[in-house]
Amino acid sequence: MTMGRYDRWLLLGTMLLTGLGALMIYSTTSVVTPVLAKKGITEFFYFKRHLFTIFIGLSFMFIASRMSAGFIKKISIPLLVVSFILMILVFVPGIGASAGGAQRWIKLWPSTFQPSELVKLAMVIFLARYMSMPGFRTDNFLSFLKPVLVMVIFQIAILKQPDFGAAMSLAFLTFAMLFLSGVRLRYIGALLCLALPVVVKLAMQPYRLKRITSFLNPWDNPHGSGFQLIQSFIALGSGGMTGVGLGSSKQKLAYLPESHTDFIFSIIGEEFGFFGVTVVIALFLFLFIKGIAIAYRAKDQFVYYLATGLSLMIALQALINFAVATGMVPTKGLPLPFISYGGSSLLVNMVAVGILLNISRGEEKSEMPGMNREILARRKARRTLYGTK
Amino acid sequence: MTKKRAVILNTAIIFSFILVSLRLVDLMIFNHNRLAERAKQQHNKVEDVQARRGVIFDRNGRELALNLDLESLYGDPEMLDLKEGNIKKLALLINKEPKIIRTKVPESGRFFWIERKLEPETAEKIKGLEIEGLGFLTEAKRVYPKGVLASHVLGFVGIDNQALEGIELKFDKDLKTNGGKVVVGRDASGKILSSGVETETNGNSLVLTIDEGLQGILENELDKATIQWRAASATAIMMDPFTGEVLAIGNRPTYDPNKGTAASDSEKRNRAITDCYEPGSTFKIIIGVAALEEKIARAGTLFDVSKGSINAGGKNIGDVHKYGVLTFSEVIQKSSNVGSIMIGMKLGKERIYKYAKLMGIGEKTGIDLPGEISGWIYPPERWSGTSIGAIPIGQEVAVTPLQILRAYAAIANGGYLVKPHVVSEVLSPSGEVIASFRNPDSHRILSARTAETFRDILATVTEEGGTGQNASVDGNPVAGKTGTAQMINPVTKRYSKEKYVSSFVGFVPADNPRIAMIVVVYEPKGQIYGGVVAAPVFREIANQALSYMDIPRDDNAQRAHFVVAR
Repeated sequence: MTMGRYDRWLLLGTMLLTGLGALMIYSTTSVVTPVLAKKGITEFFYFKRHLFTIFIGLSFMFIASRMSAGFIKKISIPLLVVSFILMILVFVPGIGASAGGAQRWIKLWPSTFQPSELVKLAMVIFLARYMSMPGFRTDNFLSFLKPVLVMVIFQIAILKQPDFGAAMSLAFLTFAMLFLSGVRLRYIGALLCLALPVVVKLAMQPYRLKRITSFLNPWDNPHGSGFQLIQSFIALGSGGMTGVGLGSSKQKLAYLPESHTDFIFSIIGEEFGFFGVTVVIALFLFLFIKGIAIAYRAKDQFVYYLATGLSLMIALQALINFAVATGMVPTKGLPLPFISYGGSSLLVNMVAVGILLNISRGEEKSEMPGMNREILARRKARRTLYGTK
Repeated sequence: MTKKRAVILNTAIIFSFILVSLRLVDLMIFNHNRLAERAKQQHNKVEDVQARRGVIFDRNGRELALNLDLESLYGDPEMLDLKEGNIKKLALLINKEPKIIRTKVPESGRFFWIERKLEPETAEKIKGLEIEGLGFLTEAKRVYPKGVLASHVLGFVGIDNQALEGIELKFDKDLKTNGGKVVVGRDASGKILSSGVETETNGNSLVLTIDEGLQGILENELDKATIQWRAASATAIMMDPFTGEVLAIGNRPTYDPNKGTAASDSEKRNRAITDCYEPGSTFKIIIGVAALEEKIARAGTLFDVSKGSINAGGKNIGDVHKYGVLTFSEVIQKSSNVGSIMIGMKLGKERIYKYAKLMGIGEKTGIDLPGEISGWIYPPERWSGTSIGAIPIGQEVAVTPLQILRAYAAIANGGYLVKPHVVSEVLSPSGEVIASFRNPDSHRILSARTAETFRDILATVTEEGGTGQNASVDGNPVAGKTGTAQMINPVTKRYSKEKYVSSFVGFVPADNPRIAMIVVVYEPKGQIYGGVVAAPVFREIANQALSYMDIPRDDNAQRAHFVVAR
């Protein structure tokens, strides 16, 4: 059995981002206002919790890095089912928790868990398995429609929470992977045409519409719907080239809402300037390229799709977060992987990196039970795949 | 096919990263100045910082005016939640109509005062409401812990600590600081983050010549006299005759400087320097010293006043009592109008005017309090035919109580005209002396001999046969002079039959004066004579003041005591 070494660079990039995240979470949450103090929040309240989450995340990463691709493939369907059950549990009184008018979390002592984060991971693994199955045909609309239907079911649950952002990012991820698999573009096109009225109708809900219009013209209403975006601009803009210095952000002081979660990128910009955000962007780009490179080396189609899917999952989420903070897409509540405060996202992304790390070691066919069956199945799949073309 | 797709997808993702970077270049570099300016605008707010005024101390270092840190409530119109419930709760706490709060909200801007200088408990309650858009600024409130005490000296300040009266006004430059505007950092809810005022600028402090204890004694007795005689007003000034340091100065009616803006003009008048009156007999000091200096008379020179009246310019002026032949001393002691006019006639108007001016009549004393007037005395060329019968006895002239006191102080101190003052030192916030007025200029106006002679004459006033017996204090001789003058009815321009000004001015102990004092009671009811109305006030104040100042009694009782002790 020829086991390669972990991709150390991938691990280093992840750790750099996580470390920066911890630093920024301390920076954004250490200023305790009297109102917060009344709620029992102290200087280290968020920071300690985040460190704990990082510890759990690293453990999960380690566990994931010991899971073979075969095992992951095997648990893909159960994982999908479990994440769906969790999605439903969100709505069960006593188990689900809500905040800001949204029912997105499951109470999990001492914190809460957001199943929609897990759904992304489950979806990537499911799609990787599905697309690498011998029966998957790129020129068969039904083959294409099946995973889309799975996605739609999840999306309905997500939209019920409601979490428009998560639903959209799940769609992005799903379609990116289906696009990758080589399905006919007209399928995707047709589906998008069908989906468009639905999306428009959903977007027409007043508060979402407000977000969208304010995204287009935030300065029209700087103290109302455009407030958050403008505060993000001000944070980034006042950072300039080199930033105002670590801990010196003023925008985090109740000006910019969600400064330690969805808009932490803006505070990085304010404190470390353009250099700081460039480093963050470069690190994510680096992780993505690393992930793609790992995928490229994969000899197994499932592993290839899995590695690509996980890389896409991280990269897409980072991109959406950047785009929101810079006002390129409408405001949506999505955390920045590894950096934002919020355990669910961190855990899921850590697991993703763990899986990628495992893949980076190279395939461990000798250890796989039922290897022959696998090889045969793959051969069959390739035949059907290329035979038709 | 899939490889091509992978290339397309990966390229798109990488391109997106680049797109984000370009957007950041635009936001963070090209728009940096604009957004940084906007950040500054919302983070910082220029506040008018109410600098802390200096403390005012009495001569013994007791605080007469100090500052209390109180919180003032302001609102940010953009953040303030103007719900009816919020406004009502707030209005209830500050005792105002909800409507009034609403009318205060400005059309534009991000700051308006709701209520200044709140009681600490009220401020806490308002904080408990947790209404967004409210903020607090600590402001120094000027407090006068002794209330009405020395109010006319201290003056007071307005809500913005702007000086309005008294020492506060006169020494505003020293007391206030160049604090001015300071940039204050705020968070989104308008709370002050950085303590803002980096260098808290304190004003310089003042040390007064006023003695809180003597001031209390003086004002207390002034109160009693005002009530006893149902007087319209009253004034008393106590001064060190040698240095011109004012030890106490009081007027009735008075006011509480803590509520200074609510006081009436009459209450705020520092009558000791802002009002003039016809002095009457206390003015006889002028012809007295003039006669001695010009050697027209000596203490024993005789004046025949047996006629009981004298014709001056066709007008007869009489004495209250009929006397026979009086010595120069007795003319003063018994306050004979006839004798005084006779002396005046011998002097002539030129010399009377010269000595009046020399003694500081008709001129500001230059005291370091605002609003002093000069009073007036006509130059000789403007005197009428009857003036020679009026001016020597203190009519047709207008003086301030302080002017008369200063003239008597010149007798007490051996012939020097002092400059009265109430501020002795200006101290920096750290306590260093910046300026000292301990030795203000005084100059000789009379020969020591004249002063001594006249001092002895004045001492007889409070003795047996004098008009000021009621002023004599226990154990120490008092030198002084009574004064009773009719007030001029402002409508008829004639002397009023009911309205008098009673006064007593003098110093004690006569042979070694420690305090010079004048008491003026305006419009006493029932009695009019200075010897009856004002002299007892002088006595009461002087008695307490001497024991307060630990001035040994100069009489036999004291000596007997020593004998026993020995």
